[in-house]
Amino acid sequence: MKSLLSNDYLVLLTRIFVGLMFVVVSIEKIVEPAAFAQSIANYNIFSFPVSLVLATIVPWLELVCGLCILFGLFLRGSSLLLSGMVAVFTIAVLSALARGLDITCGCFTQDPTVGKIGGARVIQNLSLLALSLYLYFSTSDRFSVDGHLRAKALQR
Amino acid sequence: MLLAATALGFVYSAALQKGVFGPSLSPPKARSASSPLAPVMIPLDTARAYFSAGDAFFIDTRHEFEYRLGHIRGAINIPLTEYGAKKDILDTFPKDKLIVVYCDGTECNSSIEFSAKLSADGFTNVRIFFGGWREWEVAHLPTEGSGR
Repeated sequence: MKSLLSNDYLVLLTRIFVGLMFVVVSIEKIVEPAAFAQSIANYNIFSFPVSLVLATIVPWLELVCGLCILFGLFLRGSSLLLSGMVAVFTIAVLSALARGLDITCGCFTQDPTVGKIGGARVIQNLSLLALSLYLYFSTSDRFSVDGHLRAKALQR
Repeated sequence: MLLAATALGFVYSAALQKGVFGPSLSPPKARSASSPLAPVMIPLDTARAYFSAGDAFFIDTRHEFEYRLGHIRGAINIPLTEYGAKKDILDTFPKDKLIVVYCDGTECNSSIEFSAKLSADGFTNVRIFFGGWREWEVAHLPTEGSGR
């Protein structure tokens, strides 16, 4: 387990995968905040105005955290934030499933015909949560801005 | 990071008049001297009267799969997210045609945002049936669709 957490290449690959994915999925939400707000409101947890505020902030948080993870900057903080978001979203999906809501996820695309919630979506989210937590607990900072800054600080 | 994302989100939305700064948070205004052509909300009875008279287009702004399950009889489906893509359909309507827009019910706001877009595009006779599909269905008014 310890070797997995300190494996430079595995951490780098995971960073690239998770970081790129969050950067890509954030773009459509940023471009269409109203559509994303509608997706959030469809969960019947928040009112539309609250969903709209969330739709204004969350995609940018995904973008910032995604970029940080990709470049290895504030890796622990950004992976913890993303883990929190994915966990909350997974709970929202489970809650919607329990209430029998027939809605789309709004996770990867705002196309209302794609990505209905279901067991597969929960498994997908849990996998993403595991990867984010893996990055949080990883000990490798090679190939990262964090590592570069730390090396520079030690040289002084 | 959280602060940076919040700041970026609000600055971007304010600059492009989207999200919280878009039209959807502004409640539809009643007709007034300052905005005589703004969309107005109508209750179920008025929506039913328009339907019975047959002189209004009903637009369902919900997702396509919800529309397929059931909708107000004769309504056409243009989800909010497809407003731009299906604008050619709207362009066939006379600008002064009576248009009734609805979505799921009071918990959805896409009808409000959709009607704001219609008004911005020059449609002068837009109504929002805010009770939407749920109210219509509960009242057992004419519907069509594949059912659940």
